[in-house]
Amino acid sequence: MELTLNVRRGGTRRSADDSHQAYHVDVEPETSVFEALVKVREEQDGTLAFRGNCGVGFCGDCTMLVNGRQEVVCLMPVGKAQKDDEIKIDPIPYAPTVKDVMYDAKRFIWDKVNSFSPGVVFNGVEQVTEEELSPVRRAMRCTMCGICDQGCTVIDVNLDFKGPAALNKVFRYVFDPRDGRAKERVVEAGETNGVWDCVHCWEASDHCPFDIDPTHRIMELRDRSVRLGVKSGTGNRQAARHYNAFERSVEHHGWLDERNVAIQSYGGLIRGGLKMMPTGLAALRRGKANLLPHRKRPGASAIKALFARYREVTRTER
Amino acid sequence: MNRFAFYPGCVSKGSCPELYESVEQVMDLLDIEVEELTDVGCSGAGVLTTEVSDPINARTLAKAEQMGLALMTICSTCQGVIGAAALRLQDPEYRAFINKEYLAAEGLEYKGTTEVKHFLWVLVEDVGLDELKALVRRPLEGMGFSPFYGCYLRRPADVVGRRERRTYIEKITEVLGGTVVNISGKGKCCGFPSLTINEPNALAMTAKHTGEAKDNGADAMVTPCPLCHLELDGEQTQAAAAARRTIEMPILHLPQMVGLALGLDPKGLGLGRHFVSTAKIVAQLEPVEAAVSAT
Ligand code: SF4
Repeated sequence: MELTLNVRRGGTRRSADDSHQAYHVDVEPETSVFEALVKVREEQDGTLAFRGNCGVGFCGDCTMLVNGRQEVVCLMPVGKAQKDDEIKIDPIPYAPTVKDVMYDAKRFIWDKVNSFSPGVVFNGVEQVTEEELSPVRRAMRCTMCGICDQGCTVIDVNLDFKGPAALNKVFRYVFDPRDGRAKERVVEAGETNGVWDCVHCWEASDHCPFDIDPTHRIMELRDRSVRLGVKSGTGNRQAARHYNAFERSVEHHGWLDERNVAIQSYGGLIRGGLKMMPTGLAALRRGKANLLPHRKRPGASAIKALFARYREVTRTER
Repeated sequence: MNRFAFYPGCVSKGSCPELYESVEQVMDLLDIEVEELTDVGCSGAGVLTTEVSDPINARTLAKAEQMGLALMTICSTCQGVIGAAALRLQDPEYRAFINKEYLAAEGLEYKGTTEVKHFLWVLVEDVGLDELKALVRRPLEGMGFSPFYGCYLRRPADVVGRRERRTYIEKITEVLGGTVVNISGKGKCCGFPSLTINEPNALAMTAKHTGEAKDNGADAMVTPCPLCHLELDGEQTQAAAAARRTIEMPILHLPQMVGLALGLDPKGLGLGRHFVSTAKIVAQLEPVEAAVSAT
C-alpha cells in the first residue's frame, strides 16, 4: 500500500505547531511503522532521527506517538495505524526531545530506574518455587517502553514522579524471595516522587500493552512496605503521618475522620491546624463541617477487633 | 421498587453532608428504598493496606449478603475499593481464609454473592434512563456540565465491569436536558489522594481539570465521588492561585444535578454549602411550575 508518513522534524524545542515532513512509502499493510521508518531512513533521508532496536517488541525503545497515541511502533502494522493512508508521528511528550522523534531515554526512564538500588542481594535462599517466582517473572517482562506514563495522572503534572515502570522494577526485587534488601528498597521507593505519590488511578494498568498491570504492582509494593513497617521514605515523613492518622481513625472510630486526618497529616494540631484553618473556617461557615470530632459508630469495636486480628495474623506470617 | 443495602461512606457523613442529604431526597423521588448499614467500617479508600481493608470490606459484604440485598455506594472510591475486595473474595481459598481468620469471631461468613453498585450505575441500570426522563420537572436546558468520574468508576476494567459504565454521566446529563461539555481529564485523578502527601501535584491536577471545564465553556462539573468534590471544590481556589488563573467552576454532586432536574429546591440539595459558589447555576434554573406548565 502507498502511504504518507508525516514525521515531526526539528530539535529539542517543541511547540504546538511543530513542522512535519511528509515521506511517501510503498509497503505491505503488515509492515510495522518502525520498519517503514527504517525504510525512510535508509532509502530517503539519512538525517531522520528516532529510537528503536530489537524490532520485535522486546526492548521498548521505539515508543512514539502515532496519530496522537503512544505506541511501541515495531508492534504496530501500518495498515492498522493509517488513517486515510496517512500516519502522523510525533515524539512522546513525557521526556525531552533530542531531535525529530528521538526522545531522551536517560531522562525518560533510566535516571529513574537507576535511582533505585540495582541487583538481587542474595539472602541465602537457594530454592524457590515457581509460584513464588511467578509475580517476579511477570514484573520482569516489563520492556520499559513507558506507555504506562501516557496514562499516569501524576507524570502528567510532575515529570519527576518515578512512574509505573521504575516502581515496577523495585517490585521485581522486593518480591524476589532470594533478595535480602526489601526493607531498604521500600524506603528508597518511599521517598518523594516515589511509591506514596502514586494516586492509584489505575491508568497505568489500563495502558500497559504487556499485561504487567503496573498499578497493581505499585499497590502491592505499598502493602508490602506497610507489612515491613515502612510508610514513607526518610525525606517525606508526611506520607507516613498520613497513613498512621488514617489507620488510627478507622481503627478507633470504625470510620474516617477526614478533617482530623488532614490535620494530623500536616504535622499535628499546631502546624496542621494552622494549615487547615482557612479551609476549616470556610467549611464551618457553609455548614459543611462542625466542631465536634467524629463520634464512634456502632460497629467500631468490631472494626477494632479486626485490626487486632490483622496485627496477629501478619505478625505470625512475618 | 429497587432495594439496596446502603453504604454511605465516611465523607457523606462528614465533610460533604450535602451529598447524603441530596441522595436521600433523590432516592425518595426515584422509588429507591435503602437500608443503611450503620455498623460497618471505612473501606480503606486505597490508603489502608488490603491486608486490613479486605477483612473490613468482607464484613460489610457479609452484612449486605445477610440482608439479601446488593450494596449501593455513593462514592467512586468506596465503590472501587469494596468492588475490588469483592472480586478478590471470589477466590474460594482467599474467602475461606478471611472468613476463618476474621469474620468467624463475630459469627459472620461471607459467601461471595454480594453485588456492589454505585448510585450512578443504579440510576441507569435499575431505575432506567426512560423512567428518569419521565420524572424530569425542570429540564437543565441551556446548561453545560462536564462529567468527572473519579478514577475508581473508570478503572480497573475488571472491577468496573461493563464498559458502557464509563459514559453514564453523559447519558444522564442528556436525559436531564443538560448539555455535556467534554473534558479530556474526565476519567483522571482529581488530586485528592495526594493532597496531604504531595500537595503541588494535587493542586496541579485540580487546576488542570477545573480549568479545562472552564475553557470548554461548562457551567458546572458533576461528580459521583465526594472525594473528587472535596478536592475540585474545596481546593479549587488554592489550585487556581497556584496555576495563576481564575477558575470559579461550581462542582455538583451527581444527586444534586439529578435533584435539580427533578424539581427539588437547590437550597435543600445543599448547593449553598459548596466552597465555589453555585449561585450562577441556581440563577439559570427555571421555576419548576413554569417548566411543568410549559410541557
Ligand atoms: S509497565 Fe508496561 S507500559 Fe509500563 S514500561 Fe513496563 S511494559 Fe511498558
